[in-house]
This record gives sequence, structure tokens and C-alpha cells, in this order.
Amino acid sequence: MFACIYSQSVSDSVLLQDFAYSFSPLVEETAADTVVLDVEGCDLLFGSAYELSKVMAGRAVKPKQSGGLGCKINVAIAANPDAAIHAARFLEGITFISPGEELTGLGDLPIEVLCFELVGVAEKKQAGRPQSREEILETLKLWGIRTFREFATLPVAGVSERLGQEGVKLQQLAAGKTDRHLKLIQPAPVFENSLELEYPIAELEPLSFILARLLNQLCASLNTYSLATNELRLSLKLGNGATHERKLNLPYPMRDHKVFLKLLLLDTEMHPPQAAVNAVAIAFEPVKPRVLQNGLFIPLAPEPEKLELTLMRLAKLLGQDSVGSLELVDTNRPDAFRVKRFGLKARIDGRKRRNEIRNSQSTIRNSKCLLGFRVFRPPLRAIVQAEHGSPTQISAWGPSRSVYGKVVRVAGPWRTTGDWWRTDAWARDEWDVAVESSRSSISNLRSQDAGSTKGAPRPILFRIYRELRSGVWFVEGVYD
Amino acid sequence: MTEYIELHARSAFSFLEGASVPEELIAACHELQMPAMALLDRDGVYGAPRFHMAGKKNGIKAHIGAEISVRIQKAKVKRQKKKDVVSIPVLVRNRIGYQNLCRLITLMKLRVPKHAKSGECAVTLDELAEYANGLICLTGGDDGLLAKAIHHRDTENTEGAQRIAEWLIDVFGKGNVYAELQRHFNREGEARNQMVVDLAQRLKLPLLATNGVCHATPARREVADVFTCIRNHVRLETAGRLLAKNSETYLKPAKTMVQLFADLPEAIANTVELSSRLEFTLQDLGYEFPKYPVSSGETMASFLRKRTDEGARLRYTGRNGMPTYERARQQIERELALIEKLKLEGYFLIVWDIIQFCKQQGILVQGRGSAANSAVCYSLGITAVDPVGMELLFERFLSEERGEWPDIDLDLPSGDQRERAIQYVYERYGKLGAAMTANVITYRGRSAAREVGKVLGFDDETVGRLSGLVHTWEWKDPKDSTARQFRDAGLDLRESRIKKFFQLYQAVQDLPRHLGQHSGGMVICQGQLDSVVPLEPAAMPGRVVVQWDKEDCADLGIIKVDLLGLGMMAALEDSIQLIRDSYGEEVDLAHLPQDDPAVYAALQKADTIGMFQVESRAQMSCLPRLGPQKFYDIVVQVAIIRPGPIVGNMVHPYLRRRQGREPVVYAHPALEPVLKRTLGVPLFQEQLLRMAMICAGFSGGEAEELRRAMGFKRSEARMREIEVKLRQGMARNGITGRAQDEIVQSIASFALYGFPESHAASFALIAYASAYLKCHYLAAFTAALLNNQPMGFYQPFTIIKDAQRHALKVRPVDVTQSDWLCTIEEERVSGIGCRVSAENQSCEDPALHPTPYTQLPTPLLVLRLGLKYVKGLREESGQAIVRERAKRPFVSIDDLQQRVPELRKDELRKLAAVGALNFIQAIDKLKFVGQNVHRRDALWQVERVARAAGALYEELHEMDGTSPLLPMTLPERIDADFRGTGLTIGRHPVGHHRVELNKLGALRASDVRSMPNGRLVRVAGWVIVRQRPGTAKGFMFLSLEDETGVANVIVTPQLFDKNRLVLVDHPFLLIDGTLQNQDNVVSVKARRVWPLSFKVAAAPSHDFH
Repeated sequence: MFACIYSQSVSDSVLLQDFAYSFSPLVEETAADTVVLDVEGCDLLFGSAYELSKVMAGRAVKPKQSGGLGCKINVAIAANPDAAIHAARFLEGITFISPGEELTGLGDLPIEVLCFELVGVAEKKQAGRPQSREEILETLKLWGIRTFREFATLPVAGVSERLGQEGVKLQQLAAGKTDRHLKLIQPAPVFENSLELEYPIAELEPLSFILARLLNQLCASLNTYSLATNELRLSLKLGNGATHERKLNLPYPMRDHKVFLKLLLLDTEMHPPQAAVNAVAIAFEPVKPRVLQNGLFIPLAPEPEKLELTLMRLAKLLGQDSVGSLELVDTNRPDAFRVKRFGLKARIDGRKRRNEIRNSQSTIRNSKCLLGFRVFRPPLRAIVQAEHGSPTQISAWGPSRSVYGKVVRVAGPWRTTGDWWRTDAWARDEWDVAVESSRSSISNLRSQDAGSTKGAPRPILFRIYRELRSGVWFVEGVYD
Repeated sequence: MTEYIELHARSAFSFLEGASVPEELIAACHELQMPAMALLDRDGVYGAPRFHMAGKKNGIKAHIGAEISVRIQKAKVKRQKKKDVVSIPVLVRNRIGYQNLCRLITLMKLRVPKHAKSGECAVTLDELAEYANGLICLTGGDDGLLAKAIHHRDTENTEGAQRIAEWLIDVFGKGNVYAELQRHFNREGEARNQMVVDLAQRLKLPLLATNGVCHATPARREVADVFTCIRNHVRLETAGRLLAKNSETYLKPAKTMVQLFADLPEAIANTVELSSRLEFTLQDLGYEFPKYPVSSGETMASFLRKRTDEGARLRYTGRNGMPTYERARQQIERELALIEKLKLEGYFLIVWDIIQFCKQQGILVQGRGSAANSAVCYSLGITAVDPVGMELLFERFLSEERGEWPDIDLDLPSGDQRERAIQYVYERYGKLGAAMTANVITYRGRSAAREVGKVLGFDDETVGRLSGLVHTWEWKDPKDSTARQFRDAGLDLRESRIKKFFQLYQAVQDLPRHLGQHSGGMVICQGQLDSVVPLEPAAMPGRVVVQWDKEDCADLGIIKVDLLGLGMMAALEDSIQLIRDSYGEEVDLAHLPQDDPAVYAALQKADTIGMFQVESRAQMSCLPRLGPQKFYDIVVQVAIIRPGPIVGNMVHPYLRRRQGREPVVYAHPALEPVLKRTLGVPLFQEQLLRMAMICAGFSGGEAEELRRAMGFKRSEARMREIEVKLRQGMARNGITGRAQDEIVQSIASFALYGFPESHAASFALIAYASAYLKCHYLAAFTAALLNNQPMGFYQPFTIIKDAQRHALKVRPVDVTQSDWLCTIEEERVSGIGCRVSAENQSCEDPALHPTPYTQLPTPLLVLRLGLKYVKGLREESGQAIVRERAKRPFVSIDDLQQRVPELRKDELRKLAAVGALNFIQAIDKLKFVGQNVHRRDALWQVERVARAAGALYEELHEMDGTSPLLPMTLPERIDADFRGTGLTIGRHPVGHHRVELNKLGALRASDVRSMPNGRLVRVAGWVIVRQRPGTAKGFMFLSLEDETGVANVIVTPQLFDKNRLVLVDHPFLLIDGTLQNQDNVVSVKARRVWPLSFKVAAAPSHDFH
């Protein structure tokens, strides 16, 4: 015999499973709100099927702390699991269906509630599947079939000819005559480990021993299952009652406990807990390990573990947001870029590689005509005198450099405006200006920027711009 | 004298590449005091007529040109991909140049299908060279040929650019190539400019400054960016560098351009010089209407005279007798003299030729519109209304003063027949000699809201809500402010993105989106039409369209013939055929009995469902009051329910005078001859013209000018000017004070939406014919109406119910009997058809007491629904069924499925569900005596036969032929009928609930008709029509149908506001209200409304909002 427990009110499927395990070790999780138990032999423990149902329903209403679910449930007992499922889902309270009486119990249920998924019929049309639930229901509706009973009493041969074997299985389902084994729950491995400390730890070194111990065990566990992880979660219970939680995402799946330890220590150094640690817990997100076939003629890239450690060290030195690779943004907004996480490029296929090489060559070949440009970050705020909108005199000061002089040549303005639909729309005019140079006027650019010192000083070429919305001038950089 | 002229500008007619309409560009040009400007749209001259007309109005010379997409071949430019397409701007120098440009664009466009991918539509350099004569070439801007070559600044590319420039000089000639410079404050552009200047110096090319204008003002740059996103299917946030770098591509004043090019003054000076070289404007189009070929010794004029004379003798001496003929002769002579003077003989002969073709092919055709004012048109058989007998005004059609081409519209049966006439014109004048006029589709309403919403990155739900805000109800509540609409939809107009959406939505309104095809306007040209305007393929195969719409064609003096499809013409034609086949009678529409009592009885009772032009709710409410008794009453009836007479408050005075409740008075005694026929109330446009002629001494042409000034394209200034002239004229004739105001008011009020009498008369003829056929040949007429759906005012279900109320029996769809279309059968009194109709017992409504229009035919003819009415059944399958059945009858569903392999499983199911397979079943089951046959039997069988059993079991039949399924219940059958065919021939869905409705105290529609005025009544029914017309000040009109007929309900704006959802959404309503019964026009003024929840399917109502 099989018992099905159904409750709409239970939000946690694990709770429902635990509840079911308290009656039988053979449990199937049919859906988040439905479990089926094999209760054959349970009569020795709980008495008759009716008594078992009563116990189940009675215990379910008890609070969670007392082993209950804190809500009402429907319980159905039948000779096959599917009949029990239908009865539990659509008949209130406790239902007992005697073997052979399935149609009596279920016959009046509307055909729409038939659980098509129990015989593997999909909701919508799928490639390779003969019919969907939608189509079969449409056919049944056209036939005027409204209840399980009406469907069950159709001639089997007729149904088989019209709806195929799936139709026959569905008809058996409606008649409560299916025969199948339960798909028993097999708990997935959990990679979590924790340790309550006898006394609080306030130093990193003693903590490292605890972390190493936990990581060793977890990595060994991963190894047993041939798995790796790409996400580490560290949870520290602190003396002040707070919890310090950190999550490290790795670019590749790894399972090297030494690397994990270094990463965790670096991260803890960067983000130290606010009080002494009372308990430590580490969890891994298990994933399949990385499988990589290196090419014979492709130079070896740095080991990802080492790279990750290096990046973490850099992040510790410079700050998390200052490490990564720059990426240009597709916009006309001048000097727009973003920092993205640094990662090794995947293998590039031959043609793409050739194109890249060709492009880089063409860039090199044409670069002979181009000027180098050194950007001042941040740009120097400037005071500019202008005649007919064109700059004539410029002066700008910054902490490490300053620019001062008469503009002898000018090209521009080069105007860009955009993002007009946003609140941070921009509009600016740029000029390339040649500023008459002298030792006194341009400080800190002497060695690098002033060029030749023989004969008359050459003008220096700057790029300046004016924010059109604020009217403020800036020096953006200098041309080499 | 200006120093600069803009010679490179795009308008919104570059479809998503420009953001201002030509009028905006000209207005900006006018403001900047620029004496000329050139419009160069992408691959077309779409905007040229509007640019030209606006320029003409503002005294600005409108130069024409285009940006031509050219595919560069490998040999010409090194390192270009084979499919690289660049844009070469060309300006038209003279008429030859214009013709070459049109031919070049036509060549490019006709080579690829309508929706060709971007880049596929381009000419080759060789083709460009072939058509270069008369054109001036500019080297182009960012996407130009030189820009493409000067991509990298190295020696090799400089040489490449020079080779290209040399090639252009070879092709266009020295002096016809200008090195174009654009300065948009752009580094790359300036670098290119330097190279172009170097190149120009080397090759001695003149420099030319332009601004590559894409929008009239800087603010329109936002629209240009939105269009860029729509074109590239991206959002503003992700468009990146596809968007413009700045807003500099606007029309700049000469002073700014001079400052910009201060270092190159010759580039500015050359703009004026080049403008002076461009002689061509669209004034010099060179359009000629084709000549009609006549035999030697004849001229077109003499030939036209002969044909007119023949026709006049036939038409005027036959029925009307000699006196009319004499009057007609004089009128014809006057018309012919004017036609010859204006050299329009060819036009009349060509239209006559189309009429001849239609007559030979048996295609019904009738001229409408102002052509019906012409006795020549009547004599040539173009129109069917005698303008002499009806004293119609010829000047409304053609006048010397107006200097416009006449407009002849031909009504043809919609569908294949009309297509045959169109294809005849193509064949006769060649593919490049005739084309349809275009219909410019603009950004309006929901589409604009949806696209702008997407571009701004709103999610689908918000886009749906935003586009839902665009009200489609014709009546707009004055309280409905934009802010309130947005608030109601849960959107805050103060939020910046929503506000931006609203600004952009308004900015894109009416900007061109793409080019469509006009429903029937054809232009024909002597010689080659492709040298007058570029031609393009239409979406419909075999059709070619010009790049201009009908207004543009009219503005440029291009004559057009409208070949319009009229559903009723097709229905009349089909009716005649059905009458011929089933009744064995020949009906000639030209010689229908006049003053048929059955027709007028039906019209007086407003029993007019399905009749042309007189079936609408408004017409029905007017018919009993007007009480038509003769043909002219129908002419008035057709014309009176129009916005013009309604807005001008002409309807009620006319009806009151007709009923003798008000004396017939005239605004001035001089108007009596003009207004006598309409009892002193002006109802037709011709009366307006005659009033102006009599009162103000206007000539015929001036009067028509007046109508046009007051008409469609109103101009305040023009209206004031002509009103002054009108008043002055009236004052001269002693009409002053109130009489003058009254006349001016009546002219102004309905000039816009009034009908010309001739047009009303043409429509009245069709209305009379449709009424006659309905009254005397109901089966044929109903079948023809059903076969030509969608058309008219009502859904097929209402047409069938109305026919049933007039004693027409309707038979269901049946694969053993039905053709693809609805047909007529003789009623059988015995046989299978009767025995198996157990399931269709409800065909005849027990509550129905049919009232035939006339005596029923013997033998009784019944209507058989066609397979066309089975939703989801393809015509291919339906025709295959008919074809196979003709060979031998189907003996079973297996037999049907095997012999008609075209039938898909879902189609078989649909046939079975609507009962179309019941009769095969009956044949199959003759051996099972006494067994009922029902739809579920068929459905049971269908599932079996439609499931492939495999070759081995193909021939194996089911042992037990009976199905275990129960027959459908009545509601199930009605549901299946509506789902499967959109109608039911059985009892009316409301009739099934009569007992419940009686308990609720709801009256039947037929009961209400006999109730006295002012009584409180309760009615219930299915809403078949909902209307909220703009002229009704917020009132809503509902037509509620039940098993006995239709009840009319009026809903006040207040009640509508309170019950909006119920009134708009619910198919069945219960309404309490006060009965209004005035002159047998019965309606219920609603006080309270409830939805009725009948569990019966119903087809959707026909809503006009």
C-alpha cells in the first residue's frame, strides 16, 4: 500500500520529506507539495491503514518544533502510488481507497486535474513527443469527456487507436490502475563543514589553522565525489553576536586546499571581522572540475590558481575596484571605459586568431602617422581666455603638473554630445592647442613633454575641452 | 543676396534616416532667408513633391536630387568588399537629368523584392555611368564614395581616392563633379576634408560646402537618434556609436556656414553658383497623359465625339425620350468643347477603354464621385447616373479656371475582378507605363508609441501600457487630459523617462514610416512613367507603385484613375450569377424595375441589414422618418447621414420639413431653384457651389475653389480670403445680414464632409440594386454577402439571423453538399438530409415567425453554408474536398481522408466539430438502422483515421463502427458552432435563455417596437455593434440582438463613464431605460446596465471606436 501526503500550505519541501521519513524510509518526492510513502508493513508500528492516516494527519497539525508541519494535510492510501496522489491532491482530508475500488474513489474528478506528468506527457508540444497534454485535453474535450470515469470507461482499443500508448497509460491513470515503483529520494552530497571554538580567536594565524583543517576535509570530500568548486562561502560567528560572511567566486572550478586557504586568508585580511571569532563554517558549491586539453604549440598560460592568488594580492594592495582589465564602452562619450574582471582568454580559433594578427599589424603599420597621447588623470581644471570662442591663453594647475601659456595654434572645436535621454547627458567641445612653451610656464613636463631643448622652445600640443553644460575648461592631456 | 545655399539635405522621406518632413525644411529655409535648397533623399524622390509645393508657396527654389546607393566593384576601389555599398549624392541639373535619375532609381528598385535586405538594393558603377547625363555629382559625406576610400591616411589610399575622383569626372563630365566638404566639428571628418581639398586642388575640382542636413533644427536630432535605433533594432542604451556624435546636421544659417568655411570661401561661393546652374524643378516634370490610339483619319477628339454620340443616343433616346436628349446634346457639346480645349480626350478614351474591357469580361463597373456630373461620362457608360435628368453641376467635375485634372473613380467588384482590371491597365501601357499610387504610412497612434517605448528601453508590459494609452475611440472626452490618461495607466508623466517618451511620441507623429500602396489609384503616362517618377515593386506580386501618393500626384498634375474595390459590387455580381444558376432568371442591374414597392416598404421600416449604405445604425434610425418613396429619396438618404449635414444641423430641419412639421423657407428667394429639391436645406456639395454662384456671382470654377478651400486641406488664410470674397459677392447681390451669415455658415459647415449629389446618386443606385436583390432574391443575395465577407456593417451571424427572420432556410456546412463558397439548393423534403438532421433540429428557431419580403420562390430555395466558413480550413483543402466529391460521393470518413490527402488532422477535427461530417456518417451508418448520428461520432472516427496506422493496417477498418461518446448537448453545439464557424444557424443564443429573461422582465426586440413613447422598459440581448462617433458628443450607441431582431440602445456619456468596462467588454447585456418611439424610430435610452453571464459562446461585436 502507498500513502500520499499533500499540503498546499507547506512551503518547504525538505520539511515535508522529513515528516514523511518519520513514517517510512521509502519516500518519493513527487512534487514540492506532494510526497508518496511505501507503507507496506507499517501496520506493525501504526496499526491499520486508517490508523496510520489518522496519526499522519494528527501529527501534521502539530507545530514544527514538535515534529509536525504546522498545517493541515490531505492523506490518501491506495494500492498504487498514482491513485493515492490523485486522491490526496483533489480529495480533502483522509481518503482510503480499497484495492479495486479506485474508480469509485476517483471517478468523479474532472479530467483537467489528471496528472499527465506522471506518465511523462508534457504540457506543451515538444519535438519528438507524439502529443502534449494540451492536445490530448482538447481531444477529450471535443469528445465530451469531463471526468476520470468517463475516460476510464472508453474502450481501451479505441483509445489506443486514437491516442496511442500514451492515451492508454492516461486512461489507466484515470482508472487508478497504474503500476510503478517509487522513485526514492537520494540526498545530494553536502559540502559544508563547521567548527565551534572553545575560546574566541582574535588573530589571523590561529584562525588559519582552523580554516586549513576545515578546507582539508572539504577538499578531500570533493575529491571523493570527483567534484570541484567555483564558490566558497565562509561564515564566522563573532563574539559580539554578529556573523561575518564572505563569498569568493572563482573563475575556474578548483579543489586545491592550499590555494583556498591563501585566498581566504587574503580576503580576511582585506575584510577583517569586527570581533573575535567563536565559530567557523565553510561551504563549497560543488561543480564538475575543469577539463582542459592544452595544444601542443600553444604557449602555456599562467596557472589559474596562481593567477587568482596574484589578482587577490593585487586587490589587497590596490582595492578591489582597481584590479581588472579595461574595456572600452561602445559610446561616443569621450574616454568612456569600464573595469572588468581579469580572466584568461579562451582558446581562439584559427581564423579569428589570423584576423586579430592582421588587424594588429595594420594598426602598427598605420601608427607611424599617429601621435601618442598622454592622458592626465584626473584632467587639470583650467582657466582659458578665448576670442570668438577660440582659446588664446591657458592656465591650469594640478598637484603634479601645471600648464600655462599663450595658445599659438588651435584646431577645433570637436563637438560631442549625447545620452540626451538620461539625466547625465554630456556635451563638450574639444580643442587641440599648441601652447608656447618656456621653462617657467610648463612645470613638471620638462623632461617628458617639452621635447627638444636645443634652439627656440617648441610649442607643446595639448588637448583641452570645455564642458558645455557647466562651461568649465579642462586640460585632458598632452600629445607626445 | 545670400552667400550660402544648402545643397545636401535629407528629409524624413529617407525613411528612418532623416527626421524632418520637407515642409519643415522649407520653413527653416524660409526663416533663414535662403532662396533655394536641394533635397536629396535616400534612393528616391519620395519627398520631392511636398518639398516642391512648400518651396513654391514660400518662394524658395526647390532643387531635386537623391543619394544613390552604389555597389562598388572590386576593380574600382581596392580593398573594398564585394558587397560594399556607398552613397553618391547627385543633383538634377535639367529634365534629362531628372529622367535619368528616375530611371536609375527604378532600375535599382524593381530589381529586388519590396522588402529586400539593406545593401541589396543598389546600382553598379556602370549603371550609374549609363544614367549620369544631366546630373551633378557630389563626392559625398561620411558614407560617400571618397570617404570610403580615404579611410586610412596613407599614400595608397590617397591614390585610390584620386582614381575614384577621376572616374567620377569621366562619368559626369568636367565641371559636373564637386568636391563636397562637410564640417560637423568632427576630427575624422576634418582630416578627410583636408585630403579632399588636396585632391580637389590636384584635379582642379570645385569645392562645395554642404552640411549634410538630416533635420531642420538641432532639437530634431533626438528623433534622428530614435530612428537610427528603430532602423538598427537596438535601444538607445545599446546603440553606442551608431548614434550621432552631435546635433550639427541641422540646417544652418548662411552666416554660420560662412564662418565655418572662413578658410575656404570658394566652397561657400560655389553653392550659389551651383544652385544657379540647377535649372530643373518639378514644375518642369514633362508629364503627358497617354494618347489613345485611333485609326488613321481620326483624331482623338473626333473619336471621342463619335463614341459619346453613340452612347448618348443609346442612353437618352431609349428611356427618357427626345426632350431630354436635346438638353443632353447641348450639355454634351459644352462638355466636349471644354474637354478638347483642355486636351483631355485621351483621358476620357482611356477610361472608356477600361470600361469596355470590363464590359467584355463581364466585370461590373460603375463610375462614382464627381464624374457622375458629366453627361459625357454618362454617355460613354462610365457612370450610371443621368446628370442632365438630375440637373447635376458639371463644374464640380471639370472647370477651366481650376487648372486641375478631372478625377474619375471606378467602382469594381473587390477581389479577383478588380485585379483583372488593374492587370489589364498594366498590360495595355506596359510595366513601366502604369503604376499604382503610393500610400505613405506614417508614425501614428499605437505603432508610434510601441516603437518609441521599445527604443527607450521600456519592458514589454510598460510598452503595452503606453501604447494602450493611445485612445482609438473616435470620441475623445474633453476631460481626458494626457496627464490623466498616463495617471490612469499607472504612469507618472513627471518621471523623466516617461516625459521623454511623451515628447518623442509627439515628435514622431506623422513622420513617414514606410511606403504602402494606395487602394486603387493608378497613374498612366505617355511613354515611360519611370522617367516621371521612380517606380518600386509593391508587396503584392505583379504590382508596381510610384514613389508619390495620390495627393502628390494631383499636386504635380499627374492624372490618375481610381480603380476601387467595392465589396458590394462583388456581392451584386455574385448574386446575379447565383440567380442565373438557381432561380433561372437573368437580372440586369441597369434595368431593374423602378419604384419597387417591396424595396420601399423595407426601406421605410428600416429593415435594411446587408443593404449598401443604408444598413448602419444611424441610417436605420433616419429611414422611418424620411420614409423613402422614390429613387431621389434614396439619394438624399445616402447623403444625409454624413458628418457634414449632421454637424451643420441640416438633418432635423430637412426631416421636419419633409414631414410637414416645418414650413419650407429659403435663406434667400434666389436660392429656391437650387434648394427646392431638398426643401430649402442644402444637403449636397453641388448645392453649395450653386449657392455661391447665385448669391455671390462666382463662376463654376471659383465655386469649386471655394469648396476646396473649405475642404480637406484647410488653410485659415485661404478660407478667410475666400469668405471675404463670398461676402462681397453676396453684398453686391443684396444679400446681407442674417441671410448672408446663414449662407456662409451652411457652406462652411459641410464643405468638408458632405457628399456630392452625383456621388450620392451613384451610391444610391447600388443601394437600390442591393435592396432589390435582397427583397426578391434573398437566398442569392445572402449567399453573395456571405461569400464576400468581410464587408458592410454586420457580422455574418447577424446577416444569417436577419435572413432567417425573412424566411430563408439555412443549411449547415456539410462535406457531402457544401462547396467552398455558400451556395443555393432546392429544399428536399425527404432523404438522409432530413433524417440525420436530428442534431440540427434547432436550425429553425421555434420563437421565430418569419416574415418574407416577397412571395417565396417555388421550389423553395435554401442557403447552404460553404466550407469557407469552417475556421482553420484552408481553401486548398476545401477545394480538394469539392473536387473529389464531384468524382464520386464520399462513403465514410476513412474514404474522405484517403481521397483528400490535403486534409490535415486539425482540419478534419474542425469539420467534425461543426457537424460537417455527420452526413458521411449517416451514409456509413445506414446499415445501423435507428442509430442517431452526431458530431461526436465523427470526432471519434476522425481521431482514428487521422492517426497513421502504418501501411500494414491501412485497409483495416474498425470492427465496431459505433462510438462510445455521448452526443453534444445544445449549449455544446452552439459553442462548437461559434468556435468553428463564427455563427450558428440554430436558435439564437439569447433565445435559449428566454425563460430566464422573461423572469427578469426583459422584453423581446420585436415587443419593444410596438410600445408607446416614454415607457420604462427592460431589454436584453447580444451586443452586435458598439459605436461612439465623434459627432455624438460622447454618446454611445449599442445594437442589442435577440431571437426576434435588433433593439437600439443609447447610452449617455455619464452612464458610459460609470459602466465603461461592462459596456465595452461584455457580450450580453441587460438594460433598463426609457423607450423613445418617435416616428417609428425606436430606441431605449439606457438608465442602468448589467452584464449577463450566459454560458454560450458568442462572436465578437463589430465595434466602431
